[in-house]
Amino acid sequence: MSAPGKTEPTQAITRARVGDADAWGELYREYAPAIFRFCRRALPTREDAEDATMDVFMKLKDKLVQYDQTRSFTAWLYKVAANHCWDVLRRRKTRQDKETEDLENVPLEHPDPNQLDKLIEQRTSEEVRRALEKLGARARMALVMRYYSDMSYDEIADALGVRRAFVGVVLLRARHELRHALGESSALAARGAS
Amino acid sequence: MNEPDQSSRDDAMKHLDEMTCLLYIERQLDRARAQEISAHTQECAACRTLLRALERESRLLTRAMLEEEEALPARLAHFQERARQSMQWIWTVALGLAATGVYALYTGYVEPWQQQLEEAGFGGSNLLSLLIFQGAFWKGWQSMITLLEVLALVTLAGFAVAFFRKRVRRGSALALVLAGFCAALLFQPASAMASETRKGESVGVSHDETIKGDIFLFGDRVRVDGNVEGDVFLFGNDAIVNGHVKGDVFAFAKFLQLNGDVDGNIRAFTNTMTIRGTVARNVLTFVDIMNLEPAAKVGGSLTIFVENLTLEGALGRDVLMFGKHFTLSGKVGGNIRMKGDELTINSNAQVDGPIRFEGHKEAEVATGAKLASPVEFHRIEHKPKYMEGHYYVWRVIWTAAFILFGVVLFLLLPNFVAETITSAELVGAPIGLGVLIFFGVPIAAVIACVTVVGIPLGLLALGFWMLMLCCAEIVVGTVVGNWILGRAHDTSGLIGRMALGFVLVRLVYTGLEQMHVVGLLTGLAIWMWGMGSICLALYRRLQPAIAGGTPTAPYAPPLPPNTTVGGIQPA
Repeated sequence: MSAPGKTEPTQAITRARVGDADAWGELYREYAPAIFRFCRRALPTREDAEDATMDVFMKLKDKLVQYDQTRSFTAWLYKVAANHCWDVLRRRKTRQDKETEDLENVPLEHPDPNQLDKLIEQRTSEEVRRALEKLGARARMALVMRYYSDMSYDEIADALGVRRAFVGVVLLRARHELRHALGESSALAARGAS
Repeated sequence: MNEPDQSSRDDAMKHLDEMTCLLYIERQLDRARAQEISAHTQECAACRTLLRALERESRLLTRAMLEEEEALPARLAHFQERARQSMQWIWTVALGLAATGVYALYTGYVEPWQQQLEEAGFGGSNLLSLLIFQGAFWKGWQSMITLLEVLALVTLAGFAVAFFRKRVRRGSALALVLAGFCAALLFQPASAMASETRKGESVGVSHDETIKGDIFLFGDRVRVDGNVEGDVFLFGNDAIVNGHVKGDVFAFAKFLQLNGDVDGNIRAFTNTMTIRGTVARNVLTFVDIMNLEPAAKVGGSLTIFVENLTLEGALGRDVLMFGKHFTLSGKVGGNIRMKGDELTINSNAQVDGPIRFEGHKEAEVATGAKLASPVEFHRIEHKPKYMEGHYYVWRVIWTAAFILFGVVLFLLLPNFVAETITSAELVGAPIGLGVLIFFGVPIAAVIACVTVVGIPLGLLALGFWMLMLCCAEIVVGTVVGNWILGRAHDTSGLIGRMALGFVLVRLVYTGLEQMHVVGLLTGLAIWMWGMGSICLALYRRLQPAIAGGTPTAPYAPPLPPNTTVGGIQPA
């Protein structure tokens, strides 16, 4: 889970744990951009992401003593951020979420591999980001946790409050939602229906 | 030929479902199942395509999310600094208490004194403008500022400098601002100092002489028989004013006689003072024996710290007296407030205002005395301070005020503070130096003040000595805080330790203070330790640096998280 080649800021963490504000500032400078991007992907608006980033780092001050230094700091930090963002999203259940929850009961159609392959090839990162914004909270959160911060299925299950065995389903549904948002899902259903 | 064969084989096979493919590329299947999938995709082109599409979808998702199309917002870029500077609740409480303390002190002490000073002729505006903006401040008694006012002014100045330091990054620019401020302060009294100075065994202003401006007279015998249109400053053993002074009279003399007329005020520090002439405005004096003879007329009020006061002449306004004995035979146009041992009002006395006497025994009032109202007597009771509730309230308020003062110092001079604390941790050396500074500086300052040229230097040294005295307890408190919580590596950590340590030192000192000798010794130890630490840090600062600073580590930006790749889950 930890980023390959990334040196853990062990000294800064140790100093920050005993209340060294300079060390805390060092951690903030290093990790704030990544956490902001995480929150930006997970939450609906830029303002939400800014607030969440600040909240995460304020929480970090208190939670740092709980951090197990034998594990990856980056992974732990993403976990804190994920929990916070999911809390934010859960607190404001929007109508859109309600609609996407209804969608979750619909059986998934098997995609046509060639059309899916073609679709992926044609889509740009920018289009994917725009499509992500249209997803429901859980789908979006699951994709961000898995494909941005590389969290494990166990960690995703823990953050979303679902059974581990259900994480794959959540991710697959999220992908389908994304394809739907990309406007191509109906065309992909050709082989699945047969 | 191959294509139809392959296609027909694919159709005959059971295709993998999408979920299985996803779990496979995400390495979520066990080894056996993963090997099955791997074998199947060797045979089935459709499933192989699906796997490839899902993997590409994963990579597209990761790439889309990782791309940094938005810079870190300015709000977040500054958040760390703001969060770092954010005061904890304890500082809010300390600030609140300090503000309450300042307000209570102002209404309880400063304002009544201000009124009294205004009545005594020290200007009609507020105390700060009196202290800072009036030239008279530099001349005499008004330089007696209370500890609170020193703290308040230094704190205010500290905030101002901290404020400017945030905005004016360049040290030279800040120095320019400070230099300008100091120059403005110095320039102001300079205009009032245009004057004539005379020195000798016997000096003075002769009967037919008129001095246009101020005059400074230094000598064993000082005599003013002529006219002075400005202020008169008398320094001598025996001083007599027979002439006419249009300004104020400032006297530092053993004996002072005023037989002539003074249109302004008299401010004197003497042993014996006698007034036979006329003073148009007010008299403020520290004196052993004071006589206002029957011919004396003072238009304003009399503020006096005295052993024995005899008032036989006429006083236009109020009397405020701190001393032992007051005998009144003359006329007082205003009220009398006295704190002392004895008040005797003779039969020919007249007082037009109320009389408030705080002493050990009731005033003796002769039957013929004309009083506007009976004497209001308050007996002084000697009750231990610690038996009274307000003693503790004030302790808390002062503690908060000192912590606030410390916070300002720590934020203003973080490096020097850290060096001072490091020096203080040596314990022995700073205490030794502190003993020398504690006794040596006041003695040296007094010696310096004997010569006119040395007066500014002496006053400056005394001022710095007092400032160090105020800071001493803060330094010791920080060291104690460091002992308890461990050494701090940054300013905010140091501030927290200072607050904790200061409170503890205060608690211990408050307890020991009740045991007189022990309290005194503890106080001395704290002062000497703190002062010695400051001086030691200063000394080290003035020494040439031996080695440069350690280079900082290069900045390494965080690496992006992993992307997911497919494959068999390891066993």
